[in-house]
Amino acid sequence: MTGAAIAPNPLAEGLYDYRVAEPAIMVIFGATGDLSGRKLLPALYNLSKQRLLPAGFAVVGAAIDDLTDDSYRRRAAEKITQFSRTQPVDQRVLQTFLDAVFYIKVDFSKLEDFKGLARKIDELDHARHVGGNRVFYCATPPPTYEIITEQLKASGLNAGDGYHRIVIEKPFGSDMKSAHELNQIVQRVFHEDSVFRIDHYLGKETVQNIMAFRFANTIFEPVWNCHFIDSVQITVAEEIGIENRGAYYDKAGTLRDIVQNHALQLLALTAMEPSVAFEANAVRDEKVKVLKAIRPLTDADVAKATVRGQYTNGWVLGEHVKGYREEPNVAQGSLTETFVALRLFVDNWRWAGVPFYIRAGKRMPKRVTEIRIQFNRPPHLTFGRDAAQELDPNAITLRIQPEEGISLKFGAKVPAAGIRLRSVAMDFLYASSFLVEAPEAYERLLLDCMIGDPTLFTRADEVETAWTIIDPIEAAWRDGRPPLQTYPSGTWGPAAGAKMLEAEGREWHRP
Amino acid sequence: MAPTLTAPGALDWTGRGVTIAQVLNALTEFRRRFARAEVGGDDHPRPRNCVMTLIAVAANEADEKLAQKLCTAIAVHHPMLAIVVRDQADVKEGLIDASISAPPAVVLDESAAETVASPPHYELVNLHVKGAAATHLAGLVDPLLVSGVPTYIWWLGTPPFGSKELRDTLQIADALVVDSARFARPYHSFLGFADTITHAHHRLGFADFQWARLDPWRESIAQFFAPVNRRAFLSGINEIGIDYRGVGRGNRIPSSVLIGWISSALGWSLQRAAGGSGGVVSAQFVAEEWRIVDVAFRSIVKPGLVEGEISGMRITGVSGGTTFRLSISRAPDRSWRPPADIGPSEFKQLHAAGDDEAGLEIAHRRAAQHREMTFQNRDSLHHIATGDAPGESVPKGSTVFVRERRNPDNSMVLLTLINIGQADTLRHVQRIESNDDASLLVKLLAIGGHDPVFTRSVASGAELMRAL
Repeated sequence: MTGAAIAPNPLAEGLYDYRVAEPAIMVIFGATGDLSGRKLLPALYNLSKQRLLPAGFAVVGAAIDDLTDDSYRRRAAEKITQFSRTQPVDQRVLQTFLDAVFYIKVDFSKLEDFKGLARKIDELDHARHVGGNRVFYCATPPPTYEIITEQLKASGLNAGDGYHRIVIEKPFGSDMKSAHELNQIVQRVFHEDSVFRIDHYLGKETVQNIMAFRFANTIFEPVWNCHFIDSVQITVAEEIGIENRGAYYDKAGTLRDIVQNHALQLLALTAMEPSVAFEANAVRDEKVKVLKAIRPLTDADVAKATVRGQYTNGWVLGEHVKGYREEPNVAQGSLTETFVALRLFVDNWRWAGVPFYIRAGKRMPKRVTEIRIQFNRPPHLTFGRDAAQELDPNAITLRIQPEEGISLKFGAKVPAAGIRLRSVAMDFLYASSFLVEAPEAYERLLLDCMIGDPTLFTRADEVETAWTIIDPIEAAWRDGRPPLQTYPSGTWGPAAGAKMLEAEGREWHRP
Repeated sequence: MAPTLTAPGALDWTGRGVTIAQVLNALTEFRRRFARAEVGGDDHPRPRNCVMTLIAVAANEADEKLAQKLCTAIAVHHPMLAIVVRDQADVKEGLIDASISAPPAVVLDESAAETVASPPHYELVNLHVKGAAATHLAGLVDPLLVSGVPTYIWWLGTPPFGSKELRDTLQIADALVVDSARFARPYHSFLGFADTITHAHHRLGFADFQWARLDPWRESIAQFFAPVNRRAFLSGINEIGIDYRGVGRGNRIPSSVLIGWISSALGWSLQRAAGGSGGVVSAQFVAEEWRIVDVAFRSIVKPGLVEGEISGMRITGVSGGTTFRLSISRAPDRSWRPPADIGPSEFKQLHAAGDDEAGLEIAHRRAAQHREMTFQNRDSLHHIATGDAPGESVPKGSTVFVRERRNPDNSMVLLTLINIGQADTLRHVQRIESNDDASLLVKLLAIGGHDPVFTRSVASGAELMRAL
């Protein structure tokens, strides 16, 4: 619904941790798929458990499988029971939630099926006082986004009373050109304000806290620049392999799957200027400025400033695992990377000369995501070189997952007669510092979408700008520069990744 | 050799007839030894993490035990210093008995049935304060407070509103937490509470367990008016009814505060109010300077709820020619039972009902409609089913019954029924998940007691109470 601004609901004031959404019908395309079962349905169940789903809210699952409402509910119940973050599942909450879950078979190529979907939605809308609000969630492979969007338009499902929003999962295209085309297709059917591109990393409390840490404190921002910071390391490591996503992953690789979205988002949040307000476009404008300021890598740069690797068999968390090329649905002799290390520069006044190192990979020793801000050493060693032997430079580590929190490393005198300095850590732990629990990222983002707050979703220009950084790297890699390295599963990537930093007198922080 | 944490209570300290200086020394020593014991031979103890000092003031042994239990429960996730003060001003001994411990925290949720290892930064200081010292609480606990984190005072019974003792105690606090359901004289205590809030320093926060218990009600009401096309309904409300748990007048505080919340949010002004027998209150508010809104509440017998807790609420009105009715009930009644023998029939139809009385009522209406339609068409149906020509044979009577899906316990069920215009009733069932005192306390402390909506609602509620 557009038009004049509506006065806020006065009764919603002061409802802490409770954000009031209007009733809506959420259509999940790909309702029988992995994302729906593992993430979306459990997240909706947990929203229901927190009483955050309004009266009248309904879910309509849409997929190619022949299911009835009841059989889909049974399937949904199984998935929720298995994957809900809150356990054990409350059977009464579950039953209540399932009462609002429906199913319809939809073949995305058949307009008639979409018209049937429209009829079903209309019936539900009338019976449940929904007022025309719709959320269309594409929990489907990216190639289907186009046809789904066009069928929604052809069947008139993108218009009418209430709001009409579409949620698209990453990856948004596979390069700049395809992302631009996808954006154009989607924007022909939905206004950009109604397009919610999900990068679930942005729904994590710790990611949002990067902005709070930087812009709600006066002590960090004055030193958050090239005068005090030596380098920034961003690590996005997973201990798991590609699981059952061989067909997708072999085409995508880590650069497209992780770096283009998660890692660059973390970089943007770390490097951005303060926005005038915590408001969707203001925040996203600042992030886009950072992405545009990243120095594009030339062919020659790619050879020196990037490392790509692929895991071979090895040991992870005490278990022997097979190599990437032995995974199902992976091409023999595949050259797809499962590890990426990059050195990027943000060419602006604040960050001139500060390298941003990004490391992302699968089958690493553990699952960890963190941003480490490494500060310069003091200009003069007052206590002498011997006393400071064990002293590392100051560092702030923003731990995104797990053990969410922030750690500040600084030097202190070891209690003894003489002078000896050692690094100590001052830790802030999310889990034990607040009296409330953090919601799961998908819960936060689904609710944001229903409320209509796109701050934590990526905008079209943001996506396209990120691809302009990735495309030259992909092009050089296709030509074999630099060559693909291998690394045993359970290690921190190929040796070339470490050498890239060693050559500059630095080393990767071990998370 | 330093004691290890594998022996619970190894570090505990107790003292009888001690001074606060001795307690403070013992606490300092306790922390040093704890840090050593925690890391064993390592010479680098972990950094300390503490989110608050929680002072619980208990007037009797039962409250003292409750306070200890809840502090320990919330310490599972929230490192803190808890000071439980057993206030015994009437005892003339003039001594302090104290103990310091780090009890193993136990998850209260029975479904989890899990004992958690002692959280490293939870300290429980128990003080039995007797004689005149008990009236100088602030001076007693001030030296023990953790610097740099908020101090919350949780008064388990009825605080001595208006007394110098309370005023002095609040000087050291960031917030005062009470449970108005436990107030000994609800009417006077509530007005005293409202006065204390009105005259308190702006830095001091206030919280009430009853306000947290109202959250699901406030959320459901706000939710109803959330859609843009229902916003105009706010200007069409003409009647509000509230049922609360109690006998006679009972404890009207939550009802008054809930009405205070709505009236202050919508800018209504109180015109008159009157109390009747059976806890009945009837009041009139003026909205938009001309429209009358009738408000009524009454006490009802409702097991399972705390004193004064809301059990049902109705908001009705008309806007733009459309009538609306929002009905919310907690633990809906369960008087109806389906017949045991439903009998065989060719025309059986199941109508799913809900886990509450109203859901069954709706299902019954649908079943009746179905039965009527079946009856009207019985001849043609019989003809189609049997192939007999009309009049050749007589159809049997049909049976339509309601299938009960109610759960055995619906005490934590919040049922919302929405009627808008002529449309079917929309039914919405929600669960009230965490209503135990530990969860409510955590919720209140998380807000920190600075809730302007609560303050405003208490003031409006007090105005209504005074008018009775």
